[in-house]
Amino acid sequence: MSVNLLLPYLTARNPKFIENSEHMTVLETQNLTKRYGSLTALNSLDFKVEAGQIMGLLGPNGSGKTTTLGIILGVLKQTSGDFEWFEGQYGEHERLRIGSILETPNFFPYLDADKNLDIVRQIKGLPKQDFSDILDFVALKDRRKSTFKTYSLGMKQRLAIAATLIGDPDVVIFDEPTNGLDPEGIAEVRNTLKSIADRGKTVIMASHILDEVEKICSHVTIIKKGKLMATGSVGSILSDDMTIEVGAMDNTQLLDLLRAYPGVNGITQVNKYLECSVDPSFDISQLNRAAINQGIDINRLIARKKRLEEEFLQITQGK
Amino acid sequence: MLKLLKLEWSKFSGSSIIRLLGVFFLLFFPLVMYIGMELPKLPSFLPDKLSFYQFPAIWDYLGYAGNWMVFFFLGVMVIYTITTEVEYKTMRQSIINGMTRKSYFTSKLLTVTTLSLFATFYYILVAFIFGFINTESVDMSNLFDSSLMIPRFFLMSLSYLSFAMMIGLLLKKSGVAVFVYLTYVLFIESAIRRILKWILNTELVQYFPMNVTDDLMPLPFYKYAQFLENMDGPKIVINAPTEAIIATAVYVVLWVGGIYYLFTRRDL
Repeated sequence: MSVNLLLPYLTARNPKFIENSEHMTVLETQNLTKRYGSLTALNSLDFKVEAGQIMGLLGPNGSGKTTTLGIILGVLKQTSGDFEWFEGQYGEHERLRIGSILETPNFFPYLDADKNLDIVRQIKGLPKQDFSDILDFVALKDRRKSTFKTYSLGMKQRLAIAATLIGDPDVVIFDEPTNGLDPEGIAEVRNTLKSIADRGKTVIMASHILDEVEKICSHVTIIKKGKLMATGSVGSILSDDMTIEVGAMDNTQLLDLLRAYPGVNGITQVNKYLECSVDPSFDISQLNRAAINQGIDINRLIARKKRLEEEFLQITQGK
Repeated sequence: MLKLLKLEWSKFSGSSIIRLLGVFFLLFFPLVMYIGMELPKLPSFLPDKLSFYQFPAIWDYLGYAGNWMVFFFLGVMVIYTITTEVEYKTMRQSIINGMTRKSYFTSKLLTVTTLSLFATFYYILVAFIFGFINTESVDMSNLFDSSLMIPRFFLMSLSYLSFAMMIGLLLKKSGVAVFVYLTYVLFIESAIRRILKWILNTELVQYFPMNVTDDLMPLPFYKYAQFLENMDGPKIVINAPTEAIIATAVYVVLWVGGIYYLFTRRDL
């Protein structure tokens, strides 16, 4: 028993423990399945995360993101299937090299920031340290001596982020990190996440806020009802299709024009204008001329790259 | 092991409930004995109450007081060290942060064992204080009771506290766990035993877990049973020390083993 308990204290202090870490598969799941009675929360999920990636785990509410994180972080037991961290190099002490927030920031309400972080440090088997730098990074230095229960939600979230950085982990995992925050809180957390990603860590982030996943992540895995829908780099998931927004005084005539127009792949009515998915080579000035020739008075014409949100909805709605 | 204990200390030394329960245990354990000195005269077939505070009888009487103190204050304390971690989700977070289920369970078991040891050392200290103050001449022949009171006190504490640990890990909510723990020990088990005795008419009901635990530190007046036999009313049956020791040890192993098996396999 004493050897097993000592192992984390030995390895966690050695930052070079992982050999050839740049080319490592940090996480791999194989047919990961989780059932609660007749409900299948996860259905044979297979995906990989390579070192240095910033992987967004996307899915609607109830899709299985938190279940997936719960299993790979050891708090839930899978019904079948497997997963492996760091190609098995750390054995059962793998989580000592991971910093994570799952669902909510979890700390002792009657203890202050320093004492709560010290508990994390002890669990990680690290020597005593001063947390000033970490608390500074998450802008909590001024409130370090206040008890956790006096913190606002944003401050609690920031303390949780601080805790994930203790021991300079190889992987950082966040589950809906901006949930419930006001716009200022969201911006703060987003900036903090970007700084963490910029430090070269492997990041896994579960979110349904596609905008921030698009801005922060290099790769994305899309899940729906526990099943894998797509996985790959953000660039490969996003198609080359463009989106144009076009509106006129009389949208009925415009609609007829667009239906027959070459290069238009899909049309949706959005409020007072039409949103169309078009080929990458689409020329909007040509569309403008065609509309004028037919006497259609265009009052809106915008071309933009397809948003991940549209791609996401298309994938999850099976269109 | 020491690191795990230090971790538990870091988690709970700042909790006002835990502190309060600890202070009450330290205060009331000797206090209840002291208050006993002020009780009115006892029935004539019982010895003069001063003898309760002398060696070797002090071990019996203090042991019985300790039975209540450990069951209540330390038992509830152990339940809180588990249920508050479920409520604050710090149990989950400990696993996420890198503890294995085995080392987390070990930390809780170490808490139970350490509290049992601490309670036993405190029992010895208080017994020495009362005993040396009230016994005229102390020598090796009267200093210690011959019936292994000190190891029995430790085993009794271990039994109550590991039972509390099991209740805490199974039921998870503070209020429910404390309620079930207290009512089971105080009322429910005796009720079940009475019903089974009435239905099955077997003496095996004496081997229920809280009964055998209680019999490790029984009400000291059982020594005067010869007088009680002549009195009316239901007979009190107390397990002999050896039987109580073996049965309690078996239960501790079963609870700890069983709850370890469950804890390492279920969702947190």
